[in-house]
Amino acid sequence: MDSINTAVIVKLEPDFSEGNVSYNPDGTLNRAETKNILGPHSAIAVSAAFYAKVKYGAKISIGTMGPPMAESMLQQAQLMSNADELCLFSDRIFAGADTLATAEVLKAGVQKMQGKMDVVFSGHRASDGETGQTGPQTAWKLGMTFLGHVIDYEINLESRTIRAKRLVRMQGVYDVVEEVEAPLPVFIAIDPSYKPRFNTVSQRLAYEKYQKEANERAQNFKQYLKVFNAIQIEADPKLIGISGSPTIVYKVERIPKGKAARQAEIIDGSNQEQIRKVVVRLRQSLSTAVIK
Amino acid sequence: MLEKYDVAIIGGGSAGLAALKQLSTLGKQAILFESGNKIGAKNISGGILYSKKPKKGKVYNVEDIYENFLQDAPFERKITKYILHATSKDKVFSIDLTAAHEYEANFGCSVLMNKLNQWFSQQAGEAAQKHGGGIVTGVHVSSIRWEDGRTIIQTDELEEIEVKAIIAADGVNSEVAYMTGARQKFSPSELYQGVKVVAKLPEEIINQRFSIGQDEGAAHLFAGDVTLNHIGGGFLYTNRDTLSLGAVYHLDSLLETPNEPYELVNTLLKNPMISEFVKDEVPVRGEIDKDAAKEEQMRIRFAVTKMIKTWSELRDNYYSKKGKERLIKEGKYGSPEEIGTQLSSLRDQMSTKYGIKFETDYVEVEYSAKLVPDGKRCRMEKPYFRNILFVGDAAGRGIFVGPRIEGLNVGIDDAVRAANTVARALDKGDFTEKYLGEYYSQSIEESPYTHDLKAIDKDYLKIFLDAAKEVPKDIISSKYGLVVKMMSSDTLRSFAVGFANILGYEKLLPIIETVDTYVKVPTELAERLGKSISASYTPTLPSIAQRVAKLKFNDDSISHIKVLKPTSEFMKKMVTLCPTRCYLMEEEGVMIQHEGCIECGTCSEETDWKHPRGEKGINYQYG
Repeated sequence: MDSINTAVIVKLEPDFSEGNVSYNPDGTLNRAETKNILGPHSAIAVSAAFYAKVKYGAKISIGTMGPPMAESMLQQAQLMSNADELCLFSDRIFAGADTLATAEVLKAGVQKMQGKMDVVFSGHRASDGETGQTGPQTAWKLGMTFLGHVIDYEINLESRTIRAKRLVRMQGVYDVVEEVEAPLPVFIAIDPSYKPRFNTVSQRLAYEKYQKEANERAQNFKQYLKVFNAIQIEADPKLIGISGSPTIVYKVERIPKGKAARQAEIIDGSNQEQIRKVVVRLRQSLSTAVIK
Repeated sequence: MLEKYDVAIIGGGSAGLAALKQLSTLGKQAILFESGNKIGAKNISGGILYSKKPKKGKVYNVEDIYENFLQDAPFERKITKYILHATSKDKVFSIDLTAAHEYEANFGCSVLMNKLNQWFSQQAGEAAQKHGGGIVTGVHVSSIRWEDGRTIIQTDELEEIEVKAIIAADGVNSEVAYMTGARQKFSPSELYQGVKVVAKLPEEIINQRFSIGQDEGAAHLFAGDVTLNHIGGGFLYTNRDTLSLGAVYHLDSLLETPNEPYELVNTLLKNPMISEFVKDEVPVRGEIDKDAAKEEQMRIRFAVTKMIKTWSELRDNYYSKKGKERLIKEGKYGSPEEIGTQLSSLRDQMSTKYGIKFETDYVEVEYSAKLVPDGKRCRMEKPYFRNILFVGDAAGRGIFVGPRIEGLNVGIDDAVRAANTVARALDKGDFTEKYLGEYYSQSIEESPYTHDLKAIDKDYLKIFLDAAKEVPKDIISSKYGLVVKMMSSDTLRSFAVGFANILGYEKLLPIIETVDTYVKVPTELAERLGKSISASYTPTLPSIAQRVAKLKFNDDSISHIKVLKPTSEFMKKMVTLCPTRCYLMEEEGVMIQHEGCIECGTCSEETDWKHPRGEKGINYQYG
């Protein structure tokens, strides 16, 4: 029984965590000063591919469109997944791409990866773009069945099919889990709530083994790294970069923060008197909050 | 289809890991289950790890299992000084027991289990992988059953597996022992309760304060009034850049007149000699101007935090040989003097710019507790059940005879014997109690450690008595005046020891392990002969709430402890004796709130006691 080939498309994103992010005086993101990392949703997609490696011995190729410095992010992704191949699609021509032009590069890139892909993973969306379109568009361009919001999946290597659970949120009503089955290949956009579960001893041992191997690989990640320009991935110049983008970001406006309506009182300290004060305040607030 | 493995080891402490390493060395497949989220998360030791060379018989030492132990392992310091102090208020009388510490020893080194067990697990895990085994963390074994000649292990987290043999290394509160009925829970008279704090102190300050070299270490033991009348004592061991300070007392003695465990540690810390040992320079934040703008107050607070952090990291490096070397190698500084200059300039800035004061105080980083099985009283006569072999604490094996304190080495010796036994059974395909259990039992009996658990070693005793020869005989009450006289004479000693050993520990212990030995005699000794010591400051002792707040927990939504008799005398005493104050006295009896439980097992005697599920519960950082 052959195992499967998987690809993960990931994105370099600003690190929005405290102490790493920098803002310009006008409140916009200072990209030069802010550290860039593997986006949080991309990281979840990587962990979903690692699940396939642990469970089915899948081969993992990780690809991204980005500047040369994105290679350190690919290293980070390899450390998480013991990836077998890292692909960086980097060319000045790619600049200014919207989601559709990005999808074109990723499609061409995925086709340059080793082996025919059985499953391609992407994150749910990017933390700095929030469109959630790049994944589905890449799927469409690759001609693959698209499964979004996936929270769990099992692959049948014999019948070459996948069974996936999708979390469908009925806005404000209730959530349902939909179970779907599809023949490979498929494109999966992984849900943010995905958590890989390894529930047999052999999977746990494989997990440990691959994790250790990942540490070694990531130290020499350049051995696994391939950098492609536009010509090398044979992308149609009309469909990439600015010229391939039907949309451009015309203006970014900051939404002013509303003034807090709450009345806050800070009681500082830890002695009896101050704690009593807190209790008194709580009691007052609760008594006014009782529904009459 | 059940997954099948040859051997399962339950518990990833130093004994379980040694068993895994040994089985792998013998080419056998074994998997180890550890319930902590990582190896070492739930391990606590005093602790000194010994390597021994008994005159008679052979023991398996740590460096026999891990050949590169002495070169590569992250142990703390080789202990080169071993001193017993008798205390009474500010007076201390000291007896140098270094010769006793070195007796039949290759070395004894201070250790912090978190770091050390992780190193063990790298070695053992790598070896196990070669034979299709390995270490599985975050998995709690919930039951073992025998079905149609198969042994099946069930866990809270994973699918069941089938194994041929099991090594139980799950500690003093061995659930494997309870669930199989292999032994009863240890009773309070068979246990010590140990409470420990780890204090931070830069490396070269430790060297200077304890008069030890870069590669040396000191161990100090305490008896007398610091025990608050309990049978046992205090200890203080130097680690690389921390100190381990603890109190270990017989649980039945604590049950008789309960004292809060943290108070027992605090009593040690308040002793002037110990206060002086642990003191350090501590920055204290100045008041921030409350009238300043909120943003400005915040900015100052963050700046002060950052500055204290920078200063403290630089200071740690400055007072460490390796730290200094690293900073210079990285090109950050040209010479040690330059680091010193930068350190004092930082210190000046802190006080002039932000009003930070520097005070003498004590810096605690971790509070912990554990039960210790008193091997003289509770070692399992039959350390096996069906195809399960018990090792280390789980089998109730630890040597505690006066100032001789050994547990880790005994567990490692057991583990190797168990691993060898299992390997032999795998070769033969025979996992019966007779072929497995009885052989192991015999191997354990042959261990010099087992001999030490049963009888007094007269040579060790002579060293001890020589060290204590300045102790006036009249201090030692008439109770054992004759014994002392006999012991002090070379000719009579053999006879006396021989006679004592005929009586056996069972009859002897009530005479030796008494308040007289641990409290009255040392106190009197200190009063009459001790030197007066005064402390230059009073250490600020963290409250128990502050101590618990500093610990890392992954709370379990399911309580792992159930109180069975809320109104029993024992449970009422737990309100005082629980090291993290998990018990409250309510009208209807004693109630547990398991948040903050550090899984020591002090309350296990009268509770339905289990470890939390995988990855849950306490997560020690030092151990």
